[in-house]
Amino acid sequence: MKKTLLLLLIAFSFPSCEKDDICDEKTSTTPRLIIDFYNVSIPTDKKNVTKLAVFSEGVIDSITFDGVSTIQLPLKINENTTKFRLVLNNGNTNPLLVNEDILEFKYDAKTVYVSRACGFKSIFTLDNTNPYNLTDNPIPDLLWIQSIEVLQPNILDENETHLKILF
Amino acid sequence: MQSQEKKTDSIPIKTNRYGLRLGVDLFKLSRSFYEKDYKGLELVGDYRLSKKYYLAGELGNENKTVDDTQLNFTTKGTYFKVGFNYNLYENWLDMENIVYIGMRYGVSSFSQTLNSYQIYNRDHFFGDSPLVYPNEKFNGLTAQWFEVALGVNAKVINNVYVGFSFRFNKLVTNKKPDNFDNLYIPGFNRTYDGSFGVGFNYTISYFIPFYKTKNALPAIKKK
Repeated sequence: MKKTLLLLLIAFSFPSCEKDDICDEKTSTTPRLIIDFYNVSIPTDKKNVTKLAVFSEGVIDSITFDGVSTIQLPLKINENTTKFRLVLNNGNTNPLLVNEDILEFKYDAKTVYVSRACGFKSIFTLDNTNPYNLTDNPIPDLLWIQSIEVLQPNILDENETHLKILF
Repeated sequence: MQSQEKKTDSIPIKTNRYGLRLGVDLFKLSRSFYEKDYKGLELVGDYRLSKKYYLAGELGNENKTVDDTQLNFTTKGTYFKVGFNYNLYENWLDMENIVYIGMRYGVSSFSQTLNSYQIYNRDHFFGDSPLVYPNEKFNGLTAQWFEVALGVNAKVINNVYVGFSFRFNKLVTNKKPDNFDNLYIPGFNRTYDGSFGVGFNYTISYFIPFYKTKNALPAIKKK
């Protein structure tokens, strides 16, 4: 009978199982590129962007960031490059303030297993020699981006800043 | 002397039959017919070692396709479980029912095929991720586990038994595929929290008697 009790104890000592078929918000899945903006005059100071609209070819929607110094940009998971049109002061009535730069990222994407609920995610590694390519608007309006620095070429999650832009 | 002998005869005699019981899991068998993505067969058996203990085991094969929201995969493989059952039921006279608690050690050898998946991306700026069909097969996978079984085996006619059991499983070893997981293991079933599982079977079996022992009921013997 002692043995029986022991067996029963083992049987009911199994911990209650967590629901594992819904991908938890906290689980790190495909990361976006995290960019921090800094003041070109005082490179240690963060600087907020005003009405920064991000466009990409073939996408009708745009992402707008306003009054923030950190932005998140998604990368195409099934291609090795993603090109963005970054328009500062987008929609401003003074056309002299509106400035457009074209920033293209070059990277390798890798598929990584996460869990039953989340399935697989993509992680990225920015190209060693040419991580990005900055060009001006086809209608030249000079570059508003002064300098770019890669802080972390391995884009594994959204917990760290991958790129620093001075303007 | 004569009177004493008569007295012995009046004591009810309890017969204990020893032998091998072989059966099949009807649950897996029936699921193979009504579940499109499942094929499975499990043979069960036990051998009576002593009054209360039975050597018990299961041998099976499963082929299951799981279609989850993010991925679709097929698991194929064979498993073997061995252990014992302890009969908690006190049978009257010639009753031969079993209500048991048991333990098993399970071993499974299998393959996983990742049929399709969709990259999980919370950002939909570039639209939804396309469905990928890698058709990637991972061979030579193995797992071992402990199982606690709670079950019943009831004699329905002559040597025919019907039974069912519930299983609680805990993985001991688990050889996972590269960049994927064993989300289903033949014999172990779905893996919960990475290492827990549950099982159920519904069996019909036939008892082949080998020999008998006769003893008086203990309560009367003491008298």
